[in-house]
Amino acid sequence: MTDILRIAVPLTAWLAAFSAVYGLQGLVCSPRWAEAGFDLAAGRAAMTAAWIAAAILQVAFLLALRSPRFASRSAFVRGVSLTLAVVALVATLWTLVPVVTTSACL
Amino acid sequence: MNALRRHRALERIWGPRPGWRGKLTTVNNNDIGLMFLALAVTYFVIGGILAMLIRAQLATPRSAFMGPDVYNQVFTMHGVIMMFLFAIPLFEGLTVYLLPKMLGTRDLAFPRLSAFGFWCYAFGGALLILALLAGIAPDGGWFMYPPLSSTLGSPGINADFWLLGITFVEISAISASAEIVVTVLLYRAPGMSLDRLPIFAWYMLVVAMMILTGFPPLILGSTLLELERAFGMPFFQADAGGDSILWQHLFWLFGHPEVYIIFLPAAGVISTVLPVMARTTLLGYGWIVAAAVSLGILSFGIWVHHMYATGIPHMGLAFFSAASTLVAVPTGVQVFAWIGTLWKGRPEMHLPMLWILAFFATFVMGGLTGVMVAVVPFDWQSHDTYFIVAHLHYVLVGGFVFPMLAGLYYWLPNFTGRRRYFKLGKTAFWLVVVGFHGTFLLLHWAGLLGMRRRIDHIEPGSGWELINLLASIGGFVMAIGFALVLIDVVVNAVVAVRGRRNPWQAGTLEWAMPAPSPSYNLASIPKVHSRNPLHDDPDLPVRIARGEGYLGDPGSGLREILTVEIASGRPNSLVIFPTNSALPIVMAFVTGGLFVGMLIKAYWLVPLSLVGVAALGIWWAWSLGSREDQDSRPVGHGLVLPPATEVERPPGWWGSLFLLLADGVFFGSLLFGYAFLWTVAPNWPPPAWLEPGLRGPLLALGGAVLALGGIRLADRALRRDGGPWLGLLLSLAGLSALGAAAVTVLTRTSHDAHAYDATLWVVAGYVVFHATVAGLMTVFLALRAAGGYLSARRVGEARVVRLWTDYAVAVALLGLGAAWLPGVPT
Ligand code: HEM
Ligand SMILES: [Cu+2]
Repeated sequence: MTDILRIAVPLTAWLAAFSAVYGLQGLVCSPRWAEAGFDLAAGRAAMTAAWIAAAILQVAFLLALRSPRFASRSAFVRGVSLTLAVVALVATLWTLVPVVTTSACL
Repeated sequence: MNALRRHRALERIWGPRPGWRGKLTTVNNNDIGLMFLALAVTYFVIGGILAMLIRAQLATPRSAFMGPDVYNQVFTMHGVIMMFLFAIPLFEGLTVYLLPKMLGTRDLAFPRLSAFGFWCYAFGGALLILALLAGIAPDGGWFMYPPLSSTLGSPGINADFWLLGITFVEISAISASAEIVVTVLLYRAPGMSLDRLPIFAWYMLVVAMMILTGFPPLILGSTLLELERAFGMPFFQADAGGDSILWQHLFWLFGHPEVYIIFLPAAGVISTVLPVMARTTLLGYGWIVAAAVSLGILSFGIWVHHMYATGIPHMGLAFFSAASTLVAVPTGVQVFAWIGTLWKGRPEMHLPMLWILAFFATFVMGGLTGVMVAVVPFDWQSHDTYFIVAHLHYVLVGGFVFPMLAGLYYWLPNFTGRRRYFKLGKTAFWLVVVGFHGTFLLLHWAGLLGMRRRIDHIEPGSGWELINLLASIGGFVMAIGFALVLIDVVVNAVVAVRGRRNPWQAGTLEWAMPAPSPSYNLASIPKVHSRNPLHDDPDLPVRIARGEGYLGDPGSGLREILTVEIASGRPNSLVIFPTNSALPIVMAFVTGGLFVGMLIKAYWLVPLSLVGVAALGIWWAWSLGSREDQDSRPVGHGLVLPPATEVERPPGWWGSLFLLLADGVFFGSLLFGYAFLWTVAPNWPPPAWLEPGLRGPLLALGGAVLALGGIRLADRALRRDGGPWLGLLLSLAGLSALGAAAVTVLTRTSHDAHAYDATLWVVAGYVVFHATVAGLMTVFLALRAAGGYLSARRVGEARVVRLWTDYAVAVALLGLGAAWLPGVPT
């Protein structure tokens, strides 16, 4: 089961982070955000911070999956899980890039 | 024992009962698989006839063939049947039939569950067909957007058939998936480590996980919409705090992965068939596994690309546009691995190969138009035109139907034991392919010229007449082609000559048994040393039949099968499977009461059926297990294995784990819906938040502590061979307190006042339900302990109950916490 987790977790974490940032964007653009006393700049800062945190998490997965402590004993699983961790890192960087490039609530 | 005597003995143990009753009570994967396949093909014919009706209507301008209300039912039912009653059950059937053979085992993990799933599919589908015949079928399009599908837009019973019938059918998809996951993880031939899994099994593992996580949002959406329609709980009504966009989110959270759920099994078939046709091995096995897993997960992150036209902010569009481009990468990896495989081999042009080539040509085009519509500005132009209809059929027919036909012709000798003799197949192939492109290539163009989808007639002078006429002709050519395929298969199954055992010289284990396969699949279970055991040892089939593998001695008269350790494939326990039983069909029938009760508004039937299902479930579970500790038993080759009743995590624990995964996704979607409404729905906040007070939270916290502690205490006592009574009692008290805490939420809100209240009702109802289920399981466990079914070695059942109890506690704390949170500050 741990081998299955090694394979599935990084991308699942991407999915969670991606959905969370999308949810955060919805919140930032909703009346609730202003009611809570924040402005758009704070919203963008929050999203950017979430993006960076997600990327750091992915780097951590990548390192862990290479470390003797967490790496799988099967060479096959090691290969597949590392590939997928790289995919997840790239996906995190690429799919969340809009938090710094696009207008947030138009 | 000689091979024939072994065969007779095994057939007596594993085979169905004689006569027609055998079909109703069988739990064997071969029977269930074939029944799934036959029914799915029947639905393909029905769906195809509906498609022909659509094309007949649109062949000429202002056709008077069908009025709008009939037409709406016809295209809706076409989509619904093809997506839910044909595509998914077809690959489920194929998998149920083939997977145990490929994995080198004798059946799926939970034979009765497969039968239950099949009957749910049969009954649920029958509801929809009944509606179609009676002229009261769903007519709001296959994705059923409210408010068109709410009571406001569809006051009749039509939409209810969709919501209830489809949910009923989904039960079968969820059961089949839990089963496929556990089968791939635990039930394999010894030595089949993860890197030796047949590639099809990897794909199906991914697909089954996707179904477990993709279907719950849809089931939630259907539940909410049905609650709105039946009891006025306004989840999707803007004036009462609901939001119809919520439906779109829930639907597409399911709907986009669904496309891959349909495509990946087809890709699995291609990855299996292509190397054999090219007389080589699959190139880049590890890359393909990685690609399939990434597709499986990435495809969940792009649901919003179906909602570009709903007016979401640019940043949201950009997220999903970026994510949508990303899926092209693993798809590309897969396609290149296939091309590389062809390159390295010496492809032979048998019929399966022809279908694969048709797949390539069609799917690549569908993929390209897919990239086009993933681009936001283009999507705004083509949204809801025939361009989309054409695109989706390129992907679905090209990416699913064609590969499945390749698979059909590839495995036909395995199903029938015969060699193809009549050569209708090639004619059929050309008719289908030419007809298909004749229809849908043209329809892209109609879409670009502005023809909207779902229109019931075309106007003369619109400029679309000729295209539609030609497309209709193409459609009929294709239909004739499909009819010929059917005739070809039936004729060949009945009258062709007997064939050799492994006509393609494939390397996987499904060819290591006689064809058609006996109901026990393998006379003994081989040890596996590579991905292509039959290439390592061409004599393997004979040695299997001679009983030289594991479990070759049928002397015990029981359905014996073994499980392996997940990663390494080392054998680790001996399982005795239950035998044929009418329980699955009866249970599916009683489950149907839930849906029929809702449908005809006979609400008393709903709780009655629930009680019935619970009673049958208890009966079902009671018949398993053992009353005394058993010794480990020899299974052949000097290997001695403990019985599965005496391992800490028996297969039932794993099955529960994956069912709870699906359940957890359902609950997560519910919380998502709540958060969504809270942030963006109009007319929020509600008139008043629920004030938690003190009693509710105290009950919840106390209950959580008692339940968690109690079940652990019971577990500890059991393992020391003591009585679990005190622990079970505490746990039961805890679960009751959790239920009571949830009831305080119900009594203090009115279900139909506002979407907020309605959501709280569903959350609290969910908690009550799970506390009840866990409570019933606790009582069951107590009875089992009294009956002598538990011991220090037989703790598996207690572990299962502990899992469900933990889950009930977790959802109670999370759900009630979320319900109370907004009211805290006031
Ligand atoms: C066998 C040949 C087929 C033909 C000739 C055909 C024809 C059509 C046509 C003309 C429509 C347009 C309805 C409209 O928007 O007005 C349609 C819709 C649709 N088709 Fe097919 N189809 C075929 C096979 C399939 C298959 C195999 C699938 C899925 C596995 C499928 C899934 C759908 C779906 C989901 C819709 C959308 C229904 C809706 O708008 O609610 N079709 N089909
Ligand atoms: Cu999509």
